Amino acid sequence: MGIFLVSVPVIAVLMFILFKNSRIQHIISLVASSLSIIIAVYLTRNVMLFHSVSYSAWGGIFYIDYLSIIVLDIVLLISLIVSIYSIGYMETEIKHGKIDRSRLSLYYILMYSFIFTMVLALTVKNMGIMWIAIEGTTLSSAFLVGFYNDKCSLEAAWKYVIICSVGIAIAMLGIIFLHLSSIGVLESQQFLDWTALYDNAKSLKSPIVKLAFIFILIGFGTKTGLAPMHTWLPDAHSQAPSPISALLSGVLLNSAMYGIIRAVAIVNRNLGSSIYTGRLLIALGILSIFTAAICILAQKDYKRLLAYSSIEHMGIIAVGIGIFTPLSIFGALLHMINHSLTKSMLFLTSGNILQKYDTKQISKIKGALKLLPVSGIVFLLGLFAIAGMPPFSVFASEFNIIVSIFVAKRFFVGSAFILLLAIIFAGIAVNLFKIFYGNNQEEDLQRGETNIPGTVAIVVLLVVITITGLFIPNELKDLITQAQNIIIGM
Amino acid sequence: MSNFFDTLSVLILFSSFILMANKMTKSYIKTFRIQSMLLALAVGSMAIKSIIEEGRFDVLVVCLLIIILKVIYIPNLLNKAYAKAEYKVEKDFILNIPILVLVCCGLVVFCYFCLSTIDGINDGVINVQVVNSISVILIGLFFMISRKKAIGQIIGFLVIENGIFITAMFSTQGMPFIVDMGIFIDMLTAVMILGIMVFKINEEFDSIDIDKLNNLKG
Repeated sequence: MGIFLVSVPVIAVLMFILFKNSRIQHIISLVASSLSIIIAVYLTRNVMLFHSVSYSAWGGIFYIDYLSIIVLDIVLLISLIVSIYSIGYMETEIKHGKIDRSRLSLYYILMYSFIFTMVLALTVKNMGIMWIAIEGTTLSSAFLVGFYNDKCSLEAAWKYVIICSVGIAIAMLGIIFLHLSSIGVLESQQFLDWTALYDNAKSLKSPIVKLAFIFILIGFGTKTGLAPMHTWLPDAHSQAPSPISALLSGVLLNSAMYGIIRAVAIVNRNLGSSIYTGRLLIALGILSIFTAAICILAQKDYKRLLAYSSIEHMGIIAVGIGIFTPLSIFGALLHMINHSLTKSMLFLTSGNILQKYDTKQISKIKGALKLLPVSGIVFLLGLFAIAGMPPFSVFASEFNIIVSIFVAKRFFVGSAFILLLAIIFAGIAVNLFKIFYGNNQEEDLQRGETNIPGTVAIVVLLVVITITGLFIPNELKDLITQAQNIIIGM
Repeated sequence: MSNFFDTLSVLILFSSFILMANKMTKSYIKTFRIQSMLLALAVGSMAIKSIIEEGRFDVLVVCLLIIILKVIYIPNLLNKAYAKAEYKVEKDFILNIPILVLVCCGLVVFCYFCLSTIDGINDGVINVQVVNSISVILIGLFFMISRKKAIGQIIGFLVIENGIFITAMFSTQGMPFIVDMGIFIDMLTAVMILGIMVFKINEEFDSIDIDKLNNLKG
């Protein structure tokens, strides 16, 4: 049954090509994403019962364990919410004349190919095919970033494809070196197989593994948005349609981070310590948070500000993985979940604001709380959440990571980390909180929400991140602990 | 046999030097075609070797795909894109050509020194094939930043792909077949997407000069 998970988006794409009526297309999209969620629940249950799920079809490349199921669940949950939100958002865009109705089917086709490539990346155990799928995510989302076809979005799409493709090509070089280090250790049918590499990690040739890790980190790090390879990210996130920004930020970055985590697990097991990977990851992580802090302080565009905040949070996750103690890995994985939910909520809300005011400039927006009673409040609370205020869940995971840094006696890293987080909090507060108050000068804007189902989905997300901030369900804790054991190698 | 592959790897490296020294966009495409032919020759001889020694035919399929895609289809596609997006400015590079070629020499030396310190890749003797092929990747990266036109960047990307392919070929005797196929599909889609974007950029900006893509900042 799990194999159907990969085929659901493929069938959906075929249906979108067959049926051109937009009402039917909305229904197909909803059905496909709900079906995926049902399969995901089934798979999660199986993983919890049997530790891993693998199928013999296609040469046995399908393999899901605790680590992949966490990221996979995030992908499918956010796709469901995005597909609910897309209906109202795209209808409004069509009504405002931003796009033709005929482009709606292109939108859905590309969106579901994008989801397909991400699901594929997370369900295979062959590192080569995982690489192909992650490169596929770039290709399928390129035209989504450039969906509006104007100067800015074309520029963003060009940068996105060029930078990410080259980055990913470098990751391929890393995977080739990983393959080279395993020649003579693995059988030919096991080549590039993650489980085989992991089981035999101790006998791989260490110098080549080290070289491979640098290339993989730079390659997938480009896609993850780690500084200094982050330059495509703010452009792409700000120019894409808002539901796609939510997918890019909430899901795509995690899928690429997942590739890095898989490599880290092999390399650390091979070298017997985490010093080598830890130094690289912590350096890139702190640099990302630093870059984000500077850019957030001087930001004038709210979607770009949210994009820089994604860079910051990917940096936080990288630091968590770099510290490599059970507590920090737990924090990093939890942070992955929390960041995805919170950030996609914020991007979707920013879509509502963008449609109401028709501008991305912070200075042109006033009185958001009055004009958008629900979205305004959600955006305000969401900003507190993403900046790391209790009681929201981002606080819980950030706190975990900070504690783990100090427990590992990395005082300098810890202080820099806290200082930068404080700067980012101040940056978000100074820049964005002024949009909520005051009176709008233009009188023709009407009060009220346009996208009711989408707004309901956003509110559900807000409730979820508030509850998981207060307590974590035991099942989730179990899942994350098991995934953390996989990474650490217990 | 190893002498033959050594020579081929040097020739492929040399073709990327020629690419760097090219002035006209049209000749970039020609040089890329020559490099792909050399690549196909290398993979073809590898294929014959593997058919004789192990009876495997998958390398031969990869070789045919290289000939169809990289030697015939993609250069034609780029020629078409170039013909439609016509522009007049001919000076396309940031530094002048002798300096660019000198930097490329520096890259090869850099590569040699870096790889000579890593044991495992070379058993006592430095593996010239791997050094040459990784130099091709670096030169491809440098080519991308040294050219201002969109087509130059696409060619740079393709040269990087070529470099990665020969690195895989020379260092590991080929990746698993399914991975090779996937790389081809990805690369083909990437080039087609970039080709379409060149048209759109040409329509929006009235040129394919990448320097004009500077609206998004901060």
